[in-house]
Amino acid sequence: MIDLKANTCPNREQRAGAINAYHGKASDLVRETREGTLFNREREFQQSSGCVLNFYLTTRVVTIRDSVMIVHAPVGCSSTALLYREVYRRIPRGEGRPEFDLHWLTTNIDEKDVVYGGVDKLRFAIKEAEERYHPKAIFVLASCTSGIIGEDIEGVVSEIQAEVNATIVPVHCEGIRSRIIQTAYDAFWHGVLKYLVKKPTKKQPDLVNIASMLSYTWQDRLEITRLLNRMGLRPNFIPEFATVEQFEIMAEAAVTAPICPTYTDYLSRGLEQEYGVPYFMYPSPVGIDHTDEWLRTIARYTGKEKEAEELIKEERAQWVPVMQKIQEEFATLRPDGKKIEILGSLGQGRLLTQIPYFEEIGVSSPAAIIQDFDNLVLDEMEQIIEQAGDFDVLVNTFQAAELSHITRKYDPDLALTCPFQGSAYKREKGATRIHALRGDARQWSAQAGYKGAIAYGNFLLQSTKNQSFQQTMLAKTPDTYHDWWYDQPDPLHYLKKEA
Amino acid sequence: MGTVTALRASENSKYPGVVEAPRYSCALGGAYMAALATFGAVPILHSGAGCGMAQNFGQNFAAGLNGAGPQGNTSTPCSCLVEEHAVFGGEDKLRNLVRSTIEVVRGDLFVVVSGCVPALIGDDVKAVVKEFRDQVPIIHVNTAGFLGNSYKGYEQYLDAVIDQLLTPKPVKKLQVNLLGIVPYQHVFWKGNLQVLKDLLEGIGLSVNMIFTENNGLEALQDIPAAELNLVFSPWSGVPAAIKLESKFGTPYTVIPAVPVGPKETSTFLRVVAKRLDLNRETVERFIAEKEKRAYRFSEYMADLAMMALPNAYVGIVADTGTAISLTRYGSNELGWLPELVIITDNPPEEFREDIINSLTLGLDSAVKPEVHFEIDAHWIRLLLKAHTLQLILASSLEKHIAVDELNAMQVSVAFPVYDRLIVDRTYAGYRGGLALMEDVAYKYGGPL
Repeated sequence: MIDLKANTCPNREQRAGAINAYHGKASDLVRETREGTLFNREREFQQSSGCVLNFYLTTRVVTIRDSVMIVHAPVGCSSTALLYREVYRRIPRGEGRPEFDLHWLTTNIDEKDVVYGGVDKLRFAIKEAEERYHPKAIFVLASCTSGIIGEDIEGVVSEIQAEVNATIVPVHCEGIRSRIIQTAYDAFWHGVLKYLVKKPTKKQPDLVNIASMLSYTWQDRLEITRLLNRMGLRPNFIPEFATVEQFEIMAEAAVTAPICPTYTDYLSRGLEQEYGVPYFMYPSPVGIDHTDEWLRTIARYTGKEKEAEELIKEERAQWVPVMQKIQEEFATLRPDGKKIEILGSLGQGRLLTQIPYFEEIGVSSPAAIIQDFDNLVLDEMEQIIEQAGDFDVLVNTFQAAELSHITRKYDPDLALTCPFQGSAYKREKGATRIHALRGDARQWSAQAGYKGAIAYGNFLLQSTKNQSFQQTMLAKTPDTYHDWWYDQPDPLHYLKKEA
Repeated sequence: MGTVTALRASENSKYPGVVEAPRYSCALGGAYMAALATFGAVPILHSGAGCGMAQNFGQNFAAGLNGAGPQGNTSTPCSCLVEEHAVFGGEDKLRNLVRSTIEVVRGDLFVVVSGCVPALIGDDVKAVVKEFRDQVPIIHVNTAGFLGNSYKGYEQYLDAVIDQLLTPKPVKKLQVNLLGIVPYQHVFWKGNLQVLKDLLEGIGLSVNMIFTENNGLEALQDIPAAELNLVFSPWSGVPAAIKLESKFGTPYTVIPAVPVGPKETSTFLRVVAKRLDLNRETVERFIAEKEKRAYRFSEYMADLAMMALPNAYVGIVADTGTAISLTRYGSNELGWLPELVIITDNPPEEFREDIINSLTLGLDSAVKPEVHFEIDAHWIRLLLKAHTLQLILASSLEKHIAVDELNAMQVSVAFPVYDRLIVDRTYAGYRGGLALMEDVAYKYGGPL
């Protein structure tokens, strides 16, 4: 039950029993979660891993086109958003990128504000945003400091809303509020549901809400758009590069479809609860089989079953033979005839897509690494265990030492990495990236839909052909950690025993 | 003297801190970057969990798409404070973190950087750090994001080093320290330091770059052994130099900016030679040889300079040092017309007159720049649009504005730079001007 009268969502810990410290069998993780015996634990050794404000929000809320983001915080909390004017413009206009001029302000909370309060500055910032840019929405993002000094953001918003045309959307993303950075998604969607989504005046039966993160690329959007258009449907991609109107009309859509279930969850439930927009959580359009199933599910909510079956038939005829070539090449990679092993995944959403995809291309996964785990995905997790067999799971949010440890421990043929995994890429065997950087619009970097399934398969094959970079870095640079760290068996060595 | 306008949009603002996209991070960010720039130092953040990762995109990536290195980003130990620590205190968490970090992370020096949360809840970080002083070299930078920007954090780092680590040393003749080049905020910091070191060693000095020296701890400890501190900024690093003078008696010389191109580089070497009473003849021989080669090589870019950007009206949007050095090189060696300079690093008021002098006096160009001190990306954009410019040397925030709105070309030379990789690229020294032209002129290349 989502309570839009409240200022914000509950934390993921409260809402879904989320944890981010676990190492063991996937089946045990599911069982303990069901039994309610799973608790999060504190680490004695911990590394910087992002917060509710600064894992996701500052770089994404700023992409909403006719809005202004105000970060009510000391100046450093918004520094990641300094990329706002150029990085997203790497996506060529010729690839269908809309024109945009993005804006954000910091209230620059300083020593004086900490003592006397900074709400006057926030009021001023809202007025300034209105005057400068005439936006349709103004997002106000909270911070650790605004939270601890007790800034009454809700008070400011209700007081000043009548004086500005833009809809003000407070987002309670104080960094210290939760250990689970995915709470950020819910906090953002709470604001969106509460302030932006409008009561529908009509239904748009061909409109499909898709909450997309840019770890799925611009090419993934193009592929999804291509497929839905062929079924006579239109995607409503939010939040990145969306207009405020695209948020307002979400209640008019026929269905909310996932790319990442953990990301979309709160929004999907909210849209159903408040406006009856149906949703589904599984699967996501990664891999040929899951793309089929994703399209079929959307078709059921939009009455496009026939169109979906025709599309799937045509697409399979084109792509399955290509996928078979990829499978054949993977099958020949190991001289012992066994499947090559890939260690990957990232969020729990990606785990749910990646393991079946690995099955599809014919590789195996000795273990999965996930940022967080909660009871929102239990059924799906069980389904995957049933399909792929039981596997080891390490739940940690970007803990680089733990990631380096288990990469050595499992020693897979290929380790998938990202800038958040420290030196784990330095190794004798294969290593490549999990997903692309923001603004990467190359076809090479696609992962979703049919084209993405092929592109990513080829991408992974490429990485098996030369290991010189990671080997050289391993040989020529000192390790960050002492040898004993790798010699002892437990990646969660520093986990405190009590809750 | 050029047109110096007092008109500064932010100054008319009731709350000059409320701005769009100021070009720096917070004091924690600056102290953290300085620790990462000290090779062998392990930063330990006592802060919220995002304070390290945020700087990866807001400082490392923002300084020419740099990775944060083996101790940066998610490799940085962090107490990852949440609400319960805010209520019950974070000291135990920090104590466990420091102990485990010493156990597991390789390092010569441990640098605890405390952020907003412990400052607000009143953790006694100093006392916790003290418990480890007999085990390992460890210092505490007592900062917080709300105390200031990255430049402030750089000063606070040096302050902590001087107060907590340094002891008097016998002075080594002809040894100098390089101060005032702020890691990451000065996007060419690594290349600048190396070029300055090579130049000064060329005239017989021994040079401590401090940052990026192979053994960072030794480099820090050797700071009091210098005969002279050289500060390459009118303001950054000056407080440290003053403190080192009062504590260890080391004199200092302020060089307004890292010299770019032969003229400024030779002037700089002569200043140092005079200050340290070096053999004039040897230094002049070194200068003559370097200049000869630099200008012979300038012949290779001369055609392009004459054909592509002759007497270009130039706008510069940069930190103090970069703005001064590029204004002077462009004006005094390339024949450019420096129309507009916008200083984006918010230097303290008391240094601004000197900065304006460095930007407007001794220029060969008949056009002297209009100088603004502005941190707000919105006002910077409007200032640029009020001028006719042909070349804009700026941050990558101006990349699309230059092309789409001003019909000018742009090269990213100042923080933030998200559109090029800068590892040891530099415009410093005799070859620096050529390097700048290599980056600037490519768009117009081609035969008649």
